Amino acid sequence: MKLLPYGPLAVLAEFDTLAEVMSAAQTWRDAALPGVIDLVPAARTVLVLHDGTFDAGQLTAPTASTHVASTGRAVTLDVVYDGVDLENVATWCGLRVGEVIELHSGTDYAVAFCGFMPGFAYLVGLPPLLHLPRLSTPRTRVPAGSVAIAAEFTGVYPRQSPGGWHLLGRTDATLWDDACNPPALLPPGTTVRFRPT
Amino acid sequence: MISVESWGIAGSVVDRGRAGLAWLGQSRGGAVDVVSLSLANRLVGNAEGSAGIETSGGLTLRVSQPTMIALTGAVAEVSVNNGPAVGWGSPVSLPAGAQLRVGRLMDGVRLYIAVRGGVSREADVLRVGSDPATSAATQAAPRAAASTQLRVWPGPRTQWFQPTAWVSLMSTTFEVTGTSRVGVRLHGAALLRLDDRQLPSEGVVEGAVQVPPDGQPIIMLADHPTTGGYPVIAVIDPADLHHVAQAALGTILRFSPAR
Repeated sequence: MKLLPYGPLAVLAEFDTLAEVMSAAQTWRDAALPGVIDLVPAARTVLVLHDGTFDAGQLTAPTASTHVASTGRAVTLDVVYDGVDLENVATWCGLRVGEVIELHSGTDYAVAFCGFMPGFAYLVGLPPLLHLPRLSTPRTRVPAGSVAIAAEFTGVYPRQSPGGWHLLGRTDATLWDDACNPPALLPPGTTVRFRPT
Repeated sequence: MISVESWGIAGSVVDRGRAGLAWLGQSRGGAVDVVSLSLANRLVGNAEGSAGIETSGGLTLRVSQPTMIALTGAVAEVSVNNGPAVGWGSPVSLPAGAQLRVGRLMDGVRLYIAVRGGVSREADVLRVGSDPATSAATQAAPRAAASTQLRVWPGPRTQWFQPTAWVSLMSTTFEVTGTSRVGVRLHGAALLRLDDRQLPSEGVVEGAVQVPPDGQPIIMLADHPTTGGYPVIAVIDPADLHHVAQAALGTILRFSPAR
């Protein structure tokens, strides 16, 4: 782990792997470190936002024996697999449409981090057979609730937006609700399963 | 009650936003210039974080009952009932039925209107909260000079840049070529990187100075994306951020080391 300066109210912890990121973000969140306002995991880093009184020396990288990456929160999302890219994905992956659906819905995912828009969770655990580069030209309009894949991630668009991921289907789940605590349905550390309906 | 007859340019109801949700993909939001919103609230006797109005001009509203307001932030042509101009930085009592009109901004980018009691928005109607039972300010606030000299700290990716990039940032000037709730775009000496490595997306703070491949920096403001893939060369000192929030197009900015 490497600590990088980020002004008087933040420090950036950099790791070699996403697994280490997920573990550190979860461990530090559980520790409720005094002075820390937010912990923002990303692909290789955890951004620690604090109130200026925080001593970054308290940040120690979790060891393999203390590894935690799940909050215990588990969510199952009902999905209608009728996405516009489903057949293309099957073709590119050398699979039948039914096999794509079985692969995508047949595994547990974990939320590694959020970003792009409020409540957009990057889920890891996608079977390697389904890893595809994102669309070369992003769509200007992806409907809310779209279930999609890109590279090693799968995710759900919380609201309509532009997007470059491959659309497999849709869910009616509400991904962001200001009245809930936390407002995101899928915060980092959540275990997620997709159920075909 | 206040009815908004025209929201004008980027008019909205804002408070100080919400910290602690960046891990879920939501940045602070709220007033871009928190210092000005807080001042306006203090002037009318509100708690500093009460919700008020942010506008970049062209806003018209009408109050249904006697209402105390204060204007801070940008300086604009502001009138009541097409009559006398309303002063900056002091509590003003509007009579029932008065129409307040904010015209063109003359200095700054965002004007704030605090309403005694605070407001909550329901479409084009603003409900005024209960009277805070405090005293309003008895004299006008002095208007601090806008600063174009910003203190900066090294960023997490300062080492990704050629040494000349930091020197350029500290010793040359940058012109504001765009401003929004997301950030401020600058034009100046290109801040060049050592190589064209890809940066995996990482967390971004308010005030981060991000540098896209063209070398022209962008300073992140209240509605910034929570993660970004451009290296951050520097971070604006939080105490100077409100100056960035009010830097209009064409403003020339300079940077100096925070420490």
